[in-house]
Amino acid sequence: MAMDPDAVARAFVEHYYATFDTNRAALATLYQDGSMLTFEGDKILGTTHITNKLTSLPFQQCQHTIATVDCQPSGPQGGMLVFVSGSIRTSPNPEEHPLRFSQVGDLDPTPPASLSLSLARARAARA
Amino acid sequence: MDGQGNAGATGGGGSDCDAVARAFVEYYYHTFDANRAALAALYGATSMLSFEGQRVAGAVEIGRKLTQLPFEQCRHAVSTVDCQPSPSFPGSILVFVSGNLQLAGEEHQLRFSQMFQLVPNEQGSFFVQNDIFRLNYG
Repeated sequence: MAMDPDAVARAFVEHYYATFDTNRAALATLYQDGSMLTFEGDKILGTTHITNKLTSLPFQQCQHTIATVDCQPSGPQGGMLVFVSGSIRTSPNPEEHPLRFSQVGDLDPTPPASLSLSLARARAARA
Repeated sequence: MDGQGNAGATGGGGSDCDAVARAFVEYYYHTFDANRAALAALYGATSMLSFEGQRVAGAVEIGRKLTQLPFEQCRHAVSTVDCQPSPSFPGSILVFVSGNLQLAGEEHQLRFSQMFQLVPNEQGSFFVQNDIFRLNYG
C-alpha cells in the first residue's frame, strides 16, 4: 500500500470518532464478525454485540477530542495497530470535566479496502 | 519473560490471555523499575517502540532508548490491564495497560497508557513485537 500509514491511521481515527459522536449506530460498518471490543473491562464479540454496547452507552451525546495518535504495523498481513489518547465530553453534563480516555485498535485491511477493527479501551480516567 | 515458563504458550483465546497479560505486565514494570537494561531481552530484531511519539526499531535501539530515558529511578503502579487475542500472529496477544508513574524527586505522579503486542517465541514464551507508550495529560 503506497499510502502513508500515519495518514491512514489519522484518517481512520478521525472517521471513527466523528461517527461515534454523530451517528453511533454507523460504527457497525467499522467492525466485523471476528472483532472484539473490551470496553471498561467488558469483553464483547462480533459486530452486533459491539454495536449494541456502543449504542446503549448511558449518554445521549458525546464529543471526543483527540490528543495523540500513534500507529505501527501489526504483522505480516498488513494490519495496523493504532493507539489513541484524548478526552470525551458527554451530555447531560457537558460542563463537568471531560473524561480522559485511551483506546487501541487493530486495523485489518480486509477487502474491499474497508477497515475493520478490534479494540481494547482503557478505563476512562476521571479528572 | 524469565522463569515464567509457561502455559502462556497456548495463548490466544478470550480469557486465556488474561493470565499471560498479567504475568507479562508484572514482570515488565518490575524490570523497568529495578533493572531497566534487562528490558532489551524482551524485544527482538523486528520489534518496534513508539515512546511519546518517538519511533525506535529493533531490540538494540529499543534497549538503548529505554536506558537513556532522562531519569534515574521510577516506579510504575498499574491500574488496569486489558488483553485480547491478536489476529496478527498465531497465539499473539494485545495488552493494554494504564497506570501511574512516579519519578524519583518529582512531586506529582504522571499518568500513562501503554500497549504491547506479545508474540510467541520458540522457547514457549513471548517477546514484545509492538510497544506504544504515552503519558496522559489534562
